[in-house]
Amino acid sequence: MSFHGGLKLAHHKESLMGEEVVEAPIPEHLYLSLRMNQGDEARAVVSVGEYVLKGQCIAVADDDMVLPVHAPTSGTVTDISVQPSAAPDAAMATVITITTDGLDRTIEPMVVNIRSHQDIIELMQKSGIAGMGGAGFPAYMKYKQPVKTLIINGAECEPYIACDEALMLAKPEAVISGTDWMRQACQATTAVIAIEDTSTGIQAALEAAIQKSSMNHILVKKIPSIYPIGGEKQVIEVLTGQQVPEGQTPLVLGLLMQNVATAVALADVIESGLPLLNRFITITGDAVSRPVNVNAMIGTPLSDLLSLTEVNYTAIKRLVIGGPMMGFAMPNDAIGIDKTSNCLLAMKEELLPSGNMPCIRCGDCVQVCPQELLPQQLFWYISGESNDLEKARDHYVFDCIECGACAYVCPSHIKLVDYYRYAKAELRYLDFKKQHSDHAKQRFDARENRLERIKAERMAKRHDKTAKLKDKQVAKKEISDALARIKKIKDGQSP
Amino acid sequence: MKLETPTAPHQHNRRSVRQVMAWVLLALLPAVVAHVFYFGTGVLIQGVLATAFAMFFEYLSLKLRKQPIKLFLTDLSAPVTAWLLVLCISPIAPWYVSVIGMFFAIVIAKHLYGGLGHNIFNPAMVGFAVILIAFPQSMSLWLAPWGISQPVLSFSDALTWIFFGGGQWIDAMTAATPLSALQIGQQQGMTYSEIITQPIFGNFGGLGWEWVANWLFLGGLLLLFKKIITWHVPVTLLLVACLFSYPFYAFDPDSFLSPMQHVFSGGLMMAAFFIATDPTSGCSSKKGKMIFAAGVAILTVLIRQFGAFPDGVAFAVLLMNMSAPLIDQLTIPKPYGQQGKGSVSEP
Ligand code: SF4
Ligand code: SF4
Repeated sequence: MSFHGGLKLAHHKESLMGEEVVEAPIPEHLYLSLRMNQGDEARAVVSVGEYVLKGQCIAVADDDMVLPVHAPTSGTVTDISVQPSAAPDAAMATVITITTDGLDRTIEPMVVNIRSHQDIIELMQKSGIAGMGGAGFPAYMKYKQPVKTLIINGAECEPYIACDEALMLAKPEAVISGTDWMRQACQATTAVIAIEDTSTGIQAALEAAIQKSSMNHILVKKIPSIYPIGGEKQVIEVLTGQQVPEGQTPLVLGLLMQNVATAVALADVIESGLPLLNRFITITGDAVSRPVNVNAMIGTPLSDLLSLTEVNYTAIKRLVIGGPMMGFAMPNDAIGIDKTSNCLLAMKEELLPSGNMPCIRCGDCVQVCPQELLPQQLFWYISGESNDLEKARDHYVFDCIECGACAYVCPSHIKLVDYYRYAKAELRYLDFKKQHSDHAKQRFDARENRLERIKAERMAKRHDKTAKLKDKQVAKKEISDALARIKKIKDGQSP
Repeated sequence: MKLETPTAPHQHNRRSVRQVMAWVLLALLPAVVAHVFYFGTGVLIQGVLATAFAMFFEYLSLKLRKQPIKLFLTDLSAPVTAWLLVLCISPIAPWYVSVIGMFFAIVIAKHLYGGLGHNIFNPAMVGFAVILIAFPQSMSLWLAPWGISQPVLSFSDALTWIFFGGGQWIDAMTAATPLSALQIGQQQGMTYSEIITQPIFGNFGGLGWEWVANWLFLGGLLLLFKKIITWHVPVTLLLVACLFSYPFYAFDPDSFLSPMQHVFSGGLMMAAFFIATDPTSGCSSKKGKMIFAAGVAILTVLIRQFGAFPDGVAFAVLLMNMSAPLIDQLTIPKPYGQQGKGSVSEP
């Protein structure tokens, strides 16, 4: 099976294959962002000057969309302020700076006692496990209903990135046990670990681990290495031939998908009793002469990571967190990695100038779009002359997964994804405004109606009276009655 | 350390508009070579002439529209238009034919509609249609292909011809195009099978023309291979042309062209790979492209059989260009997840 479009991209990770994973030393400072994907933040519960232990919770979650943050090593909190971050959307975030003491003093590990699938899900929440493949939503949130099959995504999202492959080679047992814990959490009968068909040795390593732990309900399957195969929707189509229906999650297909690093994080938490504190990250890019995979603490600054290998510092033009297709360029190197940071790209190659040539409607973008959209039509409606965002909606702009395949091939070098992001944000804003003004209008109309009704009722009453007065007999009586009432009042009697 | 923060993607396949256009030019090369082989060097002179005028008009239009001149003048889109037109016109057409053709192609069809990527009509076909209407004589007057009249017209003869007219050898060296020979023959009451015994007809199309068509096909394969075009337009166009013309031919082979003749004479092969595939003036989605191509094929056959012009390709393309926006509106493809490819399972 395959999916529509996609790109065959150079992998740029040959030199990483079979290399040892480098253990990053404890950095002098750790920068821990509290931000989750959509702007919600955890609430800091430590203050500047406070001493923290490894594994200690330093920020708590006030709602379901947020995960707690823990100190990856011991040290002193030296700053809490808003800074650029490597959070999943690379926005400004509240960052807690810990100046480490190198002692790595640890809290008392949790006693992990699993009796039901709910215990596993709670553990994921408590130990701050985020989806480590990209978007970084709390992993536990996916476990809403039992499914048939759990899919563990071991396909790298993008070229250059090799940390998940390194993880599967280095800790195949943890991959399998993590997978099985997750399978129990979602009450699935089977689990499939999807790996790229270009990978070597991983299948054998995983299958050996399956044998050893006799977990034969876990399968390893190879999928073609076409970008964006790491995308959840694309993996599902390739494995099952089914597409996740519009506006739904894979749950409706009886599927649940997690990244392989997330599974390992769960296995580690259960084994050590400590929350999620580390992750594997690939250090690569054309300014890096010897790419490496590193096991680093969350919050390790980019500068510390670069110092672990041979890097041509002066040549660096961009530092990108994530891959070359969807990653975010960082404004400086004093930013700590996030739970979702799978790759640090140091790039020296200049970007092509963009914005000069118009769309020539060559259709190359249509060929590669994995969502089967018409990127050039979207661009046409969003950009300049027509600026017809509703047309962009009709052309399914909200189905764009922002994979960048279209922009990668565009011979006019148009920054297409920027336009789609803009259109989505703008449409959401317009909808929001419309919804609210609809609401206000409803209230206004209701009030008008009420006033109208009252007025109408009064008129009707008055009309009634005046009509009665027209009848002479009745009028006389009404008038004499009224006079009598007045007289009574004058006489000091109550009517 | 302060760094640039451009948005993703951070890499590109490094293909540019200029490269795409260069590939199209390269794909036209085999056909040009065949043209020279059968009809002499006239096509080269026309090519140089048309390219020069195309560039001139492009420059002028850019200047008037206050657009970046160097950027657009070097994108090679004007030479592509020029060569596409040249391959449609007679190699001995007088020089002003190119001028007029290029004027309408570049200034009217392209820049008046907003320049590269904004034109509704295919520029080369606009130029060609204007020429067809304005100079029907020059358009149906072709050099007789090699094999009928030896020797092939020399370079200097071709030059004199284009710039000063044919002089006394005109009748000895020229011939009607196969399609106009057919039309003339039919007007004279000859049957189709009688007409095609004339020497300008080859094995399956017009002599010489069929080979130009073959080499256009080869160039088209190159474009397919380089993923500059997709199969949808050429396959649909050629298939529909055959399927649609066959019943006519089967019904009355004496008055109607065979499907082979349709495909291998005139501009049909050119349209299939180089004209109807023009994404700017064509349709966007796969389905749209196929409807567009089918429309071109059907209209071409109809105009050839029943219209006043011997070859209807240009008009067929222009008519479909007009319909393209509507077809696009009606064929917006369903994206991932809305194609019914997911069966919802019970938990
Ligand atoms: S790839 Fe670029 S130039 Fe080509 S149609 Fe798409 S947006 Fe237009
Ligand atoms: S970024 Fe959006 S429009 Fe472009 S290829 Fe990816 S899904 Fe399609």
